[in-house]
Amino acid sequence: MAYKRQFYPGTSLPAKNRRKFYDPNYKLEKLRDVAMDDVVRILGHRKPGEDYKSIHPPLDECNEPDCPVRQMVVPIEGAKKGDRIRYVQFTDSVYWAPAIPYIRANMYMSRLRGIDTGTLSGRQIIEMRERDLEKVSKEYIDNETFDPARTGIRGATVHGHACRLDENGLMFDAWQRYRWNAKKGEVEYVKDQVAIPLDKPISVGKPMEDKWLKAHTTMFRADGVDMRDDAEVMAQNLRIHRLRTLCGYQSFAQKE
Amino acid sequence: MAKKPPQEQIPLPEVLIFPARLLKAETTEKLLNRIYDDVPHVRHITVSGESLPATLNAGPGKGLPAEHPERRIIKVKGQEVELRLLVGRVFVEIDDIDNVDDSLARIESICNELLPFGFSLEVGRYSKFKPTVTDYKKCR
Repeated sequence: MAYKRQFYPGTSLPAKNRRKFYDPNYKLEKLRDVAMDDVVRILGHRKPGEDYKSIHPPLDECNEPDCPVRQMVVPIEGAKKGDRIRYVQFTDSVYWAPAIPYIRANMYMSRLRGIDTGTLSGRQIIEMRERDLEKVSKEYIDNETFDPARTGIRGATVHGHACRLDENGLMFDAWQRYRWNAKKGEVEYVKDQVAIPLDKPISVGKPMEDKWLKAHTTMFRADGVDMRDDAEVMAQNLRIHRLRTLCGYQSFAQKE
Repeated sequence: MAKKPPQEQIPLPEVLIFPARLLKAETTEKLLNRIYDDVPHVRHITVSGESLPATLNAGPGKGLPAEHPERRIIKVKGQEVELRLLVGRVFVEIDDIDNVDDSLARIESICNELLPFGFSLEVGRYSKFKPTVTDYKKCR
């Protein structure tokens, strides 16, 4: 019998939403369209229109050793051209941001090629070849994993994910990379991800409503859906915990 | 006859205002002035919250001004005070323990007016009111 890939257990709303994020066959909903040049400005690694800097010659010009793995794995565009590795880092508020770091890690590993990702308490970094990183950043700013008010693009000093929101409903940022434009009712970036001021504000759209956020949440929360109410999720988590405790990363060695 | 130990100082009560959102400088200014003006027996108000640094302290822009619009000078009781926080907690010290209930009611009505997003109030003591052993050892 052919194995059919499964993504996440459970029948609760966050479990269903997690499955959507993880499943590469599910097309994440596009909610906004931030121009590519503006994404490049927010990332701050190069100026729009500037050439990509490279760290090695294009792969075509390299004398690659005769290796079956190299022949099997198709390099991503940036790797072919020899681009630098650059990063983007998203911070997710605990107050109903659509995604959370561990979910992002699983989602990226499930959907993207050629990345290195790291999870921290409130943020998730993607390291990738520059031109591919820009495409990925745009995709994940435009789609339903991003909320302008409760998700931040922050390269350094990301503190704020566990703080209360400010009076405008934005996640706290000590460097104030983005601000509330009351006239337009939109959030706009005035600094890049490491807080270097931008020439002009870049709008990333209107914050999502609370109702939408709660319907699209991937968080199990005591004031939302409690993880203990989803028996299958609990059973799976306890199984992982038990196997880790008993045999570390050698779960295959445990005889049940 | 044994020497009597020095009498313990009685801590003054504090009312903790815990807003559901971090407060803008403008709201903080209004709230503090209203409490000082309208609530009797207020001895002292302390605020705490999230620090807003004057300059970027990390990354490639280290040393550049952070220019957070909420880090600014506010006027409290006619005096200019530099607010370096996005305020998340306000502690109002009441100098008369018999008037705590009345002060609490007045603070609640001010908060109802100024903090429409919600808040909670508590009475307790949240800061030290007498020197600690560490203070003694450090000769403070």
